[in-house]
Order: sequence, then structure tokens, then C-alpha cells
Amino acid sequence: MRVSLNWLKDYVDFNMSVEELVERLNLSGTAVESVRYLGKGLENIVVGQIRKIEPHPNADKLVVCQVDAGVEEDITIVCGAKNMKKGDKVPVALVDTVLPNGIKIKKAKLRGVESWGMMCSEIELNLGEDTSGLMILDSNLKVGEKLGKALNLEDVVLELEITPNRPDCMGMIGVAREVAAITGGELKKPAIEIEEANELANDFAGVEIMDADLCPRYVARIIKDVKIGPSPQWFQKRLKAVGLRPINNIVDITNYVMWETSQPLHAFDYEKLKDGKIIVRRAGNDETILTLDDMERQLNDSMLVIADSSGPVALAGVMGGASSEVSESTTTILLESAHFKPTNIMRTSRGLGLISESSLRFERGTDPNGVVFAANRAAQLMAEFADGKVLKGLIDVYPKIINPRTMKLRVNRVNKILGTDLPAGEVDKILESLEIEASKAEQDNQLNVLIPTFRPDLEREIDLVEEIGRIYGYNRIQSTLPESSGKQGGLSLSQKIEKRIKNSLISSGFWETINYSFVTPNFYDKIRLNKEHPLATYISLKNPLSEDQSVLRTTLIPGLLDVVKRNVNRNIYNVQVFEMGRVFRPVSEKELPDELLMVGGAATGSWSEGQWFGKEQPIDFFSIKGAIESLLDSLGIEDWFLQRALHPTFHPGKCAELFINSDVAGILGEVHPKVNTAYEFPNKVVVFEFFVDVLVSHTKSITRFSEIPRYPGISLDVSLIVDEKVSNEQIIKVVRTTGGKLLKEVRLFDLYTGKNIPTGKKSLAYSLTYRAADRTLTDEEVMRVQERVIAGLEKNLGAEIRVS
Amino acid sequence: MSVLNELEKIKEEGQNEISDASSLEGLESARVSFLGKKGKVTTILKSLGDLSSEERPAIGKKANEVRQFMENIINKRKKELENEVLKRKLEEEVIDITLPGKRSPAGKRHLITQIIDEITDVFIGLGYKVAEGPEVETEYYNFDALNTPVDHPARSLMDTLYTQKDGVLLRTHTSPVQVRVMKETLPPVYIIAPGKAYRKDVPDPSHSPMFHQVEGLAVDKNITFGDLKGTLEAFAKQIFGADREVRLRPHFFPFTEPSVEVDVSCIMCNGKGCRVCGGVGWLEILGAGMVDPNVLNEVGYDPEEVSGFAFGMGVERIAMLKYGVNDIRLFYENDLRFLEQF
Repeated sequence: MRVSLNWLKDYVDFNMSVEELVERLNLSGTAVESVRYLGKGLENIVVGQIRKIEPHPNADKLVVCQVDAGVEEDITIVCGAKNMKKGDKVPVALVDTVLPNGIKIKKAKLRGVESWGMMCSEIELNLGEDTSGLMILDSNLKVGEKLGKALNLEDVVLELEITPNRPDCMGMIGVAREVAAITGGELKKPAIEIEEANELANDFAGVEIMDADLCPRYVARIIKDVKIGPSPQWFQKRLKAVGLRPINNIVDITNYVMWETSQPLHAFDYEKLKDGKIIVRRAGNDETILTLDDMERQLNDSMLVIADSSGPVALAGVMGGASSEVSESTTTILLESAHFKPTNIMRTSRGLGLISESSLRFERGTDPNGVVFAANRAAQLMAEFADGKVLKGLIDVYPKIINPRTMKLRVNRVNKILGTDLPAGEVDKILESLEIEASKAEQDNQLNVLIPTFRPDLEREIDLVEEIGRIYGYNRIQSTLPESSGKQGGLSLSQKIEKRIKNSLISSGFWETINYSFVTPNFYDKIRLNKEHPLATYISLKNPLSEDQSVLRTTLIPGLLDVVKRNVNRNIYNVQVFEMGRVFRPVSEKELPDELLMVGGAATGSWSEGQWFGKEQPIDFFSIKGAIESLLDSLGIEDWFLQRALHPTFHPGKCAELFINSDVAGILGEVHPKVNTAYEFPNKVVVFEFFVDVLVSHTKSITRFSEIPRYPGISLDVSLIVDEKVSNEQIIKVVRTTGGKLLKEVRLFDLYTGKNIPTGKKSLAYSLTYRAADRTLTDEEVMRVQERVIAGLEKNLGAEIRVS
Repeated sequence: MSVLNELEKIKEEGQNEISDASSLEGLESARVSFLGKKGKVTTILKSLGDLSSEERPAIGKKANEVRQFMENIINKRKKELENEVLKRKLEEEVIDITLPGKRSPAGKRHLITQIIDEITDVFIGLGYKVAEGPEVETEYYNFDALNTPVDHPARSLMDTLYTQKDGVLLRTHTSPVQVRVMKETLPPVYIIAPGKAYRKDVPDPSHSPMFHQVEGLAVDKNITFGDLKGTLEAFAKQIFGADREVRLRPHFFPFTEPSVEVDVSCIMCNGKGCRVCGGVGWLEILGAGMVDPNVLNEVGYDPEEVSGFAFGMGVERIAMLKYGVNDIRLFYENDLRFLEQF
């Protein structure tokens, strides 16, 4: 809603700077989106008079003018316009003037003739849309006067953001009411004085409402003998200031009054209405109408039309029809001021993609009891500006009267919600400033309140509390904190563990990422899952932004691989990332899918580039496994193991499921070479994905203290050669069982195949630490156990022991 | 020459040799030649038994004095030489301290997580718990229970992402968590609910179809608008700095009444007006209000008994304001060069 402050002053006096007014409007809920200063940039444009027009010696399309611009002698201006004649007054930009569009006027030679300035059109001065020729000024203006002053152009236009609950502020009077309330000024509504003719409007026309649910009220006035012409300049100026295009006096008046009252009006050419009859009804499904914008509109029975006895003449509340449009030859007007059901207007307007200033107001809800004022106001102006004869009486069809709502307001309640201590008198005063009548109720500290029908948003006591609060001023309300009622804040146990999981991965070198929850529907293809795979059953969106974002992810892996891909494409080859987020798995019998919190990661390249102190460490399966071991360690989870697994996304020999106790916690491994190829990864990529709830449920929050060893341990190494198929786990198991309770630690410190080791064999070296809690072990004691271990390895695994 | 004179001479000789010793080895051979088994002083001391009882006390005393003296200066010289050796060694061990350090790899939390954690910490300090709710929601929790009219434009297919199942959508805000929590627990309720929300916005520098919000809700016996104001001021000062000012502008939301939009004084210009705040000196950071009685009724609370406030803020917006990030899409590209910055 655009508001001209010059215009606004018709309805309310306020004495403050524009900045202060803007601030107060902002803080009372009428957001000011922008402030435009009209007449700015015109400081150096003057009124000039054309003294002489001569043809240009060298150009057919140009003329050479002598112009009196109020300076010492007439100046020569070369001009291409055609619409001026000798004696016309026009805006002149002298040399060195900068036009509002930024162009600087310089002395110029045009086809051999010097030009000392420029005569301007409306558009060049940002004063209108007319580009057809020079702006011809009123002949009464004084030559040499500054244009801004001569035309009284200085004005400030505020662009207001009106929230949908405030239809009244879609009119100047509504805004003025707000200004009055927040400044203490007085609201002055225009006085209506109409001299009515003797002829009765009712004898001329009739109104019938067939669908009263969609049109609760229809008021019409008849204005005869109107003379169509332009509206007065000051009137046009106001319309232009708020962005409305002046058309003719009648249309301008309907627009002006709509802007003033927020009640849209429509003027029909009475002669073009068949039988002088207005019928408000639903359209037929086979009907069409040619609207004022020259578009043929297909109607249906959800839409309300204004019809005469031959067919639709207007799309109710949205746009008039071309057939009954006011034209130069119109002499009698049927003026419509009606009330329509907001949701119906919204549906029609959206349905047709036709939004007008009228529909914008009706869809928010207009005042059913404001229609008479608006009709009378427009009729008054039509008499004034178009010499119209206003016929006696209004045609007012109002089948079911909508009365102002009454309600009770408890002053205590106001104070309890706002945290204030306002006396009833102050509450009353604020309400009255908004034209809400309040009177003392029988009960103590209560008010009986009458809600005017222009405030459909005030339905409940709480709505009035808001009115009191915002007019009183939120900045004046004391800041407090809720009184404690024994509340205890904090994270839940699982939220804390989720943080621990993230922290562990971060300290292992992983960067946290956040990826979209929606993915492309063929994500499973890219990670080699077939259509029958449970992860390939997903939730689809009905109205996705694009095919690529049309289904909800069932696993984090594709998103993580995309992150790797994006970085690799940007020449970042060392990528270690993780994400903790939800995946969505449809459950057929449930309305909502299961949302599982997963933690997944992907790593490729090496932990860092080669350094001066050492080579880069390429990422492989064991890099991820190490990070996972640290993670499990940080959660105090001990009873875990990996089990070789087959999964289409992963390399068949480098993939494992993580088990904690007997629960599957997730999967880790190197991605399958084919996945690698599909993504065009330059290096191998290792990924993992775990169920957070499984990790959480096995997390040990408290670890019991165990005594720090008091006696030294003895470490002995054992090197052995075994078949390549023998796993580390098998060896450890033998070592553990044969080592007995004195064996405390087993650490693999070397693994070797190749030279000096027979094919199909591998060499491993372990460090075994023996220790007793109650004494220092003797060498003999330890050797006895070590020999038992060696014997066990030889016997159970066919190990060949190398001398250490 | 008397033995005493001889001792005097040995002392002098020794003193010279010891102080001349330029290495620990030289010093040791000097020590041996005077105090060793066959050293000059030792020899005299050994011969004391051969002396007459008249001579013995004076010479013995003198010989011991000389030995003591020499031991002292040897030790002193030894320390000096050791220090020199150490000094030389330390000089040899000087390193180029400008070589890069040996870092262990470590990542970081995503900036969005950092902001959420920061906000969460503030509210935990104020006595709040952290609540969670589904991201795929029903229309009931996302709109109906939050007093959103049936024909509200936010419900349209233009604005909200729906699943193929009727009435099931991607939540457009974290507010449905409010409803779920209130339906499950009795007042008092003090929660925040950080999480993802979704809208049908085509990605551009300031829009993303997925984003994060932090919802807050306090419902108790005597919650006032003043409490809302005080809580948001405490929040803003902790997140944006202690000298931030806060202003509340009336606004309209279906699920709160009164409703406000909340601005903080611009973090760049302190309210003077700059490019970041568009010259107005204020930055809008969140929407808030007193929980609408219709919402309280819907969850089975009695609006005459309890009142509450709620607020919701966009995490990306706060991150962008605070860190000067100029394109919301960067948060989801996960370019390591972006992630490494925060």
C-alpha cells in the first residue's frame, strides 16, 4: 500500500519528521518498506517558454527552438519532439543539470547547431509514463520558476507492508487512523454533502442478489449527465503519486475513493446495462466475459459475476467487463459499492491469474458497513468533477445485516498477558483511538467493547490485547525472564552422545557436512542397489522442485559421495567428510515414515599432502576402521566386532558390517570399483554408515575405575609366518587363549609379504606384554607362557616361528 | 727445596694447568697428574708416613690444603667446561622454527551445527530442554494445530513440499514440534527445537529449499509478553554481542497473538546504517509472539490457566549475518574450502 503524505494530511494532522513517522509506524505494526521522495532530482529543472520554432537546417526530424528560461537571454535548444507550439511552457533542463535518470545535460552540437539545454518529457523527469513528446505545462506557470515548486511536486510516498489481517489499512483512512492512534492526532474523515436530484435511483435501476453467501451487500447509485473528461491536476497528481494511472474523471474517482476508503468501487456505463438491471450471481460454466484488460475469460460456477439481464458485465470484485466500460460518450453512471466474500474473490482471482487492486482488497475483507460511505463519497466527487446529477437514494440490497461485534475485555487479562500494569482508563483510551468503542461493564475492571466491522481481525479478547500492546508500545513494556518453576535445562542422554560421536569423528580428521534430504530417484542405481533393495523404496514428493530433488533419501551414502565428487571436481583430492542426519524409510502401515538418525562418512585421497617430515598416508579401509575404533572407544563400547559382508555398493573383499554385541550397527568399506568409475573418482573412496540409535544404546556413560598396574610388565616379540588366509583375528585368538591371564596386551607391529617370504604366506610380528597385578614377573615365568603361545600358534595355525 | 715449598710450587703449577685445560679430557689428565694415584699431590700425601713427627703435621696440613684447593678448582673448571660443551651442543641443535608444525588431521563442525550449538547453550543456560520432531509431518501438526486457516497461501503446492501421501508434507517450520511436545507433556514447558525445515523455494543466494530453524517455546502459569522480550534480549546479547539492542515490531502469524518480528541493532554498523542492514540500522532475526489461545486449546491446555511465548529463527540467516556468508547455497555445497573457514 502506497501512501502519499500530502494526501494523508487530509485525514490526520501529525507534526513530526518523516523519519520519526516511519519509525512509529514500524513499531506499531505498519511496516514501512520504502520511502520515496517525489520531486527529488528536479531542483534544477525550470519552467521555460518556447519563443520561436524553426526547422533545423541539416535535419528533417529536428527543430531549433528559442526558449525563455528566465535567464538573461533566450537560449537555443535543438529538439526532436513534435507536440509543442510557439508559446508553450515546458520543463527545461539547463546545461550541467543532472536528470532524475542520471543523465547530465551538456552543451552539444546537433547536426551543426549548438544546443544549450534540453526540453523534457514526463518520463525523463520521472513524473509519468508519457514518452510521446514534451511535457506541456500549464500556461499560468511562471517562466524561470523551479519546476518542483511550480508544480507543487514535493511529496513523500511510503510503501507500506500491510499484513493480511488488516484490510482496513489498504485505505488512506485506515492508515490515517493508525497514525492518529500512534501520534495522538485526530482522525478527520471527509464530510459528505450531496445535492440529490429529484429523480429516484430506484426508478432507474434494480439490484438482485442471487448468491447472498458470496455477496452479502450491494449498493448502487445512479449519477446522470456526467461529462467525461480529465480529473483536476491535483487529483491526478495524488493518483500518480501512489502509482495509479489517471484515465478519466469517473474512473479516477472510483480509484481515488478505493484508495481513500479501501472499498473498491466500479462505475458501469448505465446505458450499456440491459434493462438497467444488476444481477449478482454465480457464473455459468459455459459463460465467458471480456474483461477490461481485453482478455476473454472462461468462467465457471465457482465464480461470482455481476450480470445484467443479458449476461455477465463484470467479474465481481476482480475486474469490470469491457462491454459496460465507461467511455467518452458515457452520460449515466451506475456506481457499484459492494461487499464480497473474501475467500471467493481470492479463489477467482488466483484461479484466473488476475490480480487487481480491487481483488487484493476484497480478498482481505472489506467493511460491509463502509459501502454506503464510499458510494456517497464517489457520488459527491462525480457531482463535483463531472457535473453529474446524483439521483435520489441509494439502492441498497443487504439481505442479512452484519452488525459490529461486541465482546468483553478484562483489563486484568491485558496486564497478565502483556506483563503491564495499565489502568482501565488507559486501555479505554487506546481502544477509542482506534475507533473501538469501549464502555465500563458491570463487572469490575471489565470493558464492553464494540468492534467496528472494518476490523474483521478483532475476533477475540486476545486480539484486543495485541491492539493495546502495540499502540501502548512494545518498547515500553518491561523486559523480564520467566519466573522459575523448577525448570531444569539440558541435553538428553542421547543428544549428548550424538555430540560425542560428532566430536570423535572430527578429532579423527572428518569434516562435518550437511546435505539435502531430497535426492534424485535413481540414487540407488548410482550405488549399485537393485530396485528390490530395501533402500530403493523411498518417499516421493508430489511437487518437487526438480526431478533431482524429488525423493527422500534412505541412506546418507549418495549425498556423501556427491560431496566427494564436488570437491574432487574442484581439484580437492583429500576429502574426509561425515554427516549426521536423518534418512526416511517408508513404513506401509504408518502415516509417517520412520526417520532414522544415521551417521555416515566418506574419505578419499590421504589425510594430508606429503609433508617435510613424512609421506602422505593414503586413505584405505583401515583409515576408516581406525576412526571407527576411536569412535567406539570414545563411547566406551567394547563388545564390538566386524564381520565380512557383501553389499553391492562395496568392494566384495573390503567390506564389513559392524556388530555391537549382537546388533548390526552399520557398514563400512571401500566402494566398489564400478561405483568409483560411475562417479569418476580418481582415488579409492572408503565410506561408512551407522545407526546412531544402536551406537547410543550401547554407549557406556560411566566406565568403572580399574587399578593402575603397580608392577612392571615384560614385553616379548614373536614373529611368525602363516598362510595368507589366516586372519589377524585368528592369530590373536590363539595368542589370547594360550597366553592366559598374565598376557595383557597383544600388538601387531609388522605385516610383510614379498621378498624372502614364500608365495601364499605372510609374515607377522606381534609384541606381547605380560604383567601380574601383585608381583614382578620373573623371566622364567614369562618364557614358560611365551613358549606355550608359540606352541599354540604352531599347532593351531601351522605357523612357522621366526627367531626374534 | 723443602716439601712445603715443593707443595707451593705444585699448587701453582696445578692452578695454571687446570685453568689452561680447554677440554674435559685435558682437565681429566691434569687431575690425574696431580690428584691421580700417581699424581704429584697424591705422592706427597702417600709419603707423609715417612716424615718425622715434627715435620708431619705442617706438611700434612699443607698437602691436604693443596689437594682440597685443587679439587675445588678442578670441579669449578669442570663445570665451566661442561657448560661450554652444553652451550656448543645447544648451538648445534638450533632448529628452523618456521618449519610447518606436525599436525594431526582434525575436522570441524559445520557452521550451521556451530550456530545451533551456540543457541542451544544459551537456552540450556536459561533452563530449556532440546526437543525433536519428525521432518516429514502431517498437515495437522504443521498447519491445523497451529491455527493456520485452511485457505492460507502457505499451504499451497507453490509454497510447501508435499509427499505423495495425502496430508503428509515436509515440515515448513519447526513449530509442529511445539504441538507435539505440548500434547505429550503437561506445563511447565521450556523447550527449544532445532532442526531442518523445507519450503518450495528455488535455490538462489538467499533461498534454499532446505534450511534450519530453532524453535523456542515456554508455557507456564504466568508467562508474559515482558518475559518474551527479556528472553529474546538475553539471547540476542549472547549471540550477537552484549551491546546489541533489540526491538520488537508488531507482526502477524497465525499461531501467536500478539505476534512480533524481532530486530537487533546491526552487527556491522551498530545501528548507524550500512550495506548489511540496508541502511536502516536493524537486522530482522526472528519471529515470535504469545502462543495463540487456539493453539493452547488444541493441545488441551487451558489458556486461562497457562500462557506462553514461542519464537522461531532461521539458523542460516543468523550464520550469514554473523559470519558475512553471502550465499545460502554454500552451506550445502560442502566445499572443504568453505568448511575449513569456520
